Amino acid sequence: MPLLDGQDGQDGQDGRGGQDGQGPTPVLPVPPARSEGIDRRRFLTVLGATSAAVATTSGCTEPAEKLIPFLVPIEDQTPGIATYYATTCRECSAGCGLHVRVREGRAVKIEGNPENPINRGKLCARGQAGLQGLYNPDRVRTPMAKQANGTFAPIPWDAAIAAVAAKLTGVAGNRVWFVTGHETGSFDRLVTQFLGGVGSTNRVSFEPFGHEALRRATREVFGIEAVPVYDFAAAKYVLSFGADFLETFGSPVEQTRGFADGRAARTGTRARYVHIEPRMGMTGMSADEWVAPNSGTEGQVALAIAHLIVEDGLVKNGPPASALRGLLGRYEPEDVAERSGVSEEIIERLAKEFVAGPSLAIAGGMGAQHANAAFTAAAVHILNYVAGNVNRTVKFDAEATFPGLGYAALSGLTKAITDGTVDVLFVHGANPVHGTPGTAFGDALGSAKFRVSFARFWDETAMSADLILPDSDPLEQWNDSEPRAGMHLLQQPVMSNVFDTKQTGDVLLGVAQKLGGTAARRLPAASWETYLKDAWHGVQRTVGVAGAFEDFWNESLRAGGVYRRARTRPVGLAASATRITETPIASAEDGLTAIVYPSPVFHDGRGANRPWLQELPDPVSKITWSTWVEIHPDTAGRLGISQGDHVEVKSASGSITVPAYVYHGVRRDVVAVPLGQGHTAFGRFAENVGANAYRLLGATPTAFGGVDHYVPVSLAATGVHERLASTEGSARQMGRGIAQAVTVGQLAAGETGEPESHEASPLPENIEKLLEEVQQEHYDDYNAHAPYAGDHPRWGLAIDLSRCTGCSACVTACYSENNIPQVGVDQVRRGREMSWIRIERYFEGGDDDRPLEARFLPMMCQQCGNAPCEPVCPVFASYHTPDGLNGQVYNRCVGTRYCANNCPYKVRYFNWFDSSNPADTTYAWPEPLHLLLNPDVTVRSKGVMEKCTFCVQRIRGKQHDARMRGTPLKDGEIQTACQQTCPADAIVFGDLNDRNSRVSRLAALETGYHVLDGLNTRPGVTYLRKVRNVVEA
Amino acid sequence: MPNLRGPLALAITTLGTGSLLVLSACLNSNAQEAVPTRTADNFVAPATVDTAGLPGPVQPVFYRHDVHAGQYKMDCRYCHFAAETSMHAGIPSIRPTCMGCHTVIGTDNPEVERLREAASNDQPVEWVKVHRLPPFVHFPHMRHVKGAGITCQTCHGPVQEMARVYQYSSLKMGWCLDCHKKNKQTTDCTACHY
Repeated sequence: MPLLDGQDGQDGQDGRGGQDGQGPTPVLPVPPARSEGIDRRRFLTVLGATSAAVATTSGCTEPAEKLIPFLVPIEDQTPGIATYYATTCRECSAGCGLHVRVREGRAVKIEGNPENPINRGKLCARGQAGLQGLYNPDRVRTPMAKQANGTFAPIPWDAAIAAVAAKLTGVAGNRVWFVTGHETGSFDRLVTQFLGGVGSTNRVSFEPFGHEALRRATREVFGIEAVPVYDFAAAKYVLSFGADFLETFGSPVEQTRGFADGRAARTGTRARYVHIEPRMGMTGMSADEWVAPNSGTEGQVALAIAHLIVEDGLVKNGPPASALRGLLGRYEPEDVAERSGVSEEIIERLAKEFVAGPSLAIAGGMGAQHANAAFTAAAVHILNYVAGNVNRTVKFDAEATFPGLGYAALSGLTKAITDGTVDVLFVHGANPVHGTPGTAFGDALGSAKFRVSFARFWDETAMSADLILPDSDPLEQWNDSEPRAGMHLLQQPVMSNVFDTKQTGDVLLGVAQKLGGTAARRLPAASWETYLKDAWHGVQRTVGVAGAFEDFWNESLRAGGVYRRARTRPVGLAASATRITETPIASAEDGLTAIVYPSPVFHDGRGANRPWLQELPDPVSKITWSTWVEIHPDTAGRLGISQGDHVEVKSASGSITVPAYVYHGVRRDVVAVPLGQGHTAFGRFAENVGANAYRLLGATPTAFGGVDHYVPVSLAATGVHERLASTEGSARQMGRGIAQAVTVGQLAAGETGEPESHEASPLPENIEKLLEEVQQEHYDDYNAHAPYAGDHPRWGLAIDLSRCTGCSACVTACYSENNIPQVGVDQVRRGREMSWIRIERYFEGGDDDRPLEARFLPMMCQQCGNAPCEPVCPVFASYHTPDGLNGQVYNRCVGTRYCANNCPYKVRYFNWFDSSNPADTTYAWPEPLHLLLNPDVTVRSKGVMEKCTFCVQRIRGKQHDARMRGTPLKDGEIQTACQQTCPADAIVFGDLNDRNSRVSRLAALETGYHVLDGLNTRPGVTYLRKVRNVVEA
Repeated sequence: MPNLRGPLALAITTLGTGSLLVLSACLNSNAQEAVPTRTADNFVAPATVDTAGLPGPVQPVFYRHDVHAGQYKMDCRYCHFAAETSMHAGIPSIRPTCMGCHTVIGTDNPEVERLREAASNDQPVEWVKVHRLPPFVHFPHMRHVKGAGITCQTCHGPVQEMARVYQYSSLKMGWCLDCHKKNKQTTDCTACHY
């Protein structure tokens, strides 16, 4: 076995020295406040020594390892016991709380913070992959200065800070610009004060998909500049106008939970969801009905529905709407049907359904990213208004969120650089060279006289900088944020810096001190941490918590922040609401429009350097490590393009060449390309993977100051073909009944759905008795040797397909928990991906007879009671444990692969290469990525079969805890990694032999079924059929 | 080597080299029955002259378990602080555990001088691992020490009489299972292998 640091956890002491003996504040109990951690040099020294294995004679045959104790023990960390620190996720700006598991001084797993009301303990795939940002091998490891020959050379921090101060001295304030990402806390204030200190107001907050259209629409319709907050759980009818609210729009984890709660209601009615967009994305796939209007006409459909509601008086005692009559009069359903391609019957039916109960119409996401987006969003606001949803299911924060955010400001900067009026440019938390339309920003950047980047990675913008002052990772940072009114969230360092990086807050304070004068007077704080704490004295007053500040601070750190019910303000119709106008979207000659959408896993591209995310199949196409263009089969046929053919997608702004993915979920006149790839820098995992679809977009801002993501294109096959690196076996179920569904109508009629479509295998007459005997033998053996107080569980899962949205957070959580290696694009093509849990995605219909329907099914080892893998293992590596698992003993496995051949679920994965060996070319964890390995789980080596074990390390860990404290395990105490992170709460783990456990109760529901039940495998995983709220024909 | 007994002392005299010595120590796995868990009240750790002949790996600091645990009867858990709570027993930190006493005791000892030097240079001591457990085995110290009340010596041997610690038991699976079977404890593979 290769000896990695990850496995080294067993050795106990591979920690690091600590100077002051105090770590960051853990979740429990409350320790004294933290002061600074150990310095980096010592950490690295110890780190290096830990991984060194020296040949001495201590062991019988193998080389010895070293045990390196903490120089000074960290107060709240014991070797072998995980400490959890509360902080906040910064992978997007939703503000999900984190509990980071730290072992021996290093972060090994990220989980959600149950106390944070935004995510309530859940996380998405991007949040899970935050660890790969922290330990990314392509981080900027030390300050770098560009040399005359264009290369970078390291520079000490003092010199770097002095260089910045020198450049700022004597420069007119208005020639200094500062770009940041979306910041809502103390750092935002610090940057503004810093700029003020040097006499500048040139602050650009840049966040791709910055809700420009939505904010403009809210101002026009309700007179305030704000982004609405949607109450999904309260709505029984959801109508989304292109908003991908389960993927990237708004606060996806929070919205997923609300959505799933509304859909999977055990009592009362199940919510119905209709998605209106030319493309069916991951969010649209969860819809009960997909309506595909002409590109850019969603707003017209919304107003036609509103028209019917007002004219037909569908809402009794509705809000006053007479002022809107003039506007709505222009949107007769008949006319709109012609312009949008959505039939009058559908519009009328949607109107009736919409007002039948608590409902919610959503604008945002891709529906709010085209030239006509401000109109679309305004129309949806009006629809919500006339239906009486405003201030009920649609609310607005008391304070403006997302102030000044937008592409227009960045576009202004591009112009200023081109005009030669930018002397010093700071870029923090953004990568505009890659992530802005066209090439305008990148082309202009060279004209800025001195460019300072605070990039954490070697991204495209950093490569163009003169000086890189690497920021610390969010997991190494002090910071705070207020993503919405009343939610004061804290970030604390969960471990000491991996590299010689510095928090930008400290850098700016240092530069201000060097500059002296106004800047130094305005920013007197000794350190960023002090600055933050000073600000939190104010927070304490705002939230009205009495007592000593230190107590308030420590309690806030422990909880991850201070959570107050977000204050909302009631809004009414503004006069300008009646004056909204349309901006027609551009169309191409041959009528093809490309929708350039944010990838659910990479967003605008910031996640592309995380191998977990690269290897994560796209929820829609199931393609990994690539960019593709989605084309309707008819369009593909017309153009002579088949799946995998390379296609040149050409717009007025640029062109990219990507393989074709033939997909029923786009209109015939629409193609779709995901963003996020095509990096020319950004490290080994991102560079030269896929294509950058931003190049197709025009650099001119839309009328509302955003980016137009709908662009006319032409397609041309290049004659090159590639086999897509897809993890999809077949897109269709072919009668196998794998992902089953039932309609509400069938349920009401007492039917439970599709019966098994193939004959069950014939059974020997006495099979039940035989199986019982075998199980009893297991139990007897178990009880003989391990008297767990007469407790013999059978571990099982219940998975509710009505809740599953296909988001794939569970997949990344599993990679993180179980040390699963990524295998890369070539091996994925050969079907050798290692994902112990995968999301199967099947299509139904899509032809003229049946509308397209998608179903998701998380597939992991089913822990069969009568497992086909067990009897074929010649070495007893695959065997049945007394607690009902299919055990897999890695050190026993000799790699015959018989088990995988005999597994009907394809859930066993073989290590074809030595991806755990640092000397091997397939090594999956190049330094320091290996630091994220979970010390509780063996890192498998070449020739070994591996698979899901229901996180047996977590089961054993909790059993140890229960035994040590002397009380039995409680239901729900053990959580598998997939269950722990599932934003929709679709996965429930527990003991099937305990009739009162949550999993038993769910598994007994009438919608429960086992996949491939006819094979008599007796799975421990019960799926609950997806309940579809469709209109019965 | 007057303090080394039985087959080991024999091994030392007959074989003489470090690596083979440890091999012999590994084979000496059935001696656990007779392991003394306490030494006589008047036990005095012998002066060692020929350290090259001692079993076990050479450590960066010649730490004497026989002096600390034997002669001065310090509890194992004073230094191995996590044995009752964690999977791992824990290795003490120089500050405060070692230097807590050695700022006043044994300050003229050259090995203590090495410790003090390491402490003042902020360098942790890089101990060579003695007990080899393969990485695919997960051994919970707390379940054995606190849960089952098994003495440290049962597996680690008479550490309180070892001038330099060596691996006393084989730590091979059969050795684990012998004890588990005898005491009617679990023999399920996934109890330890995952």
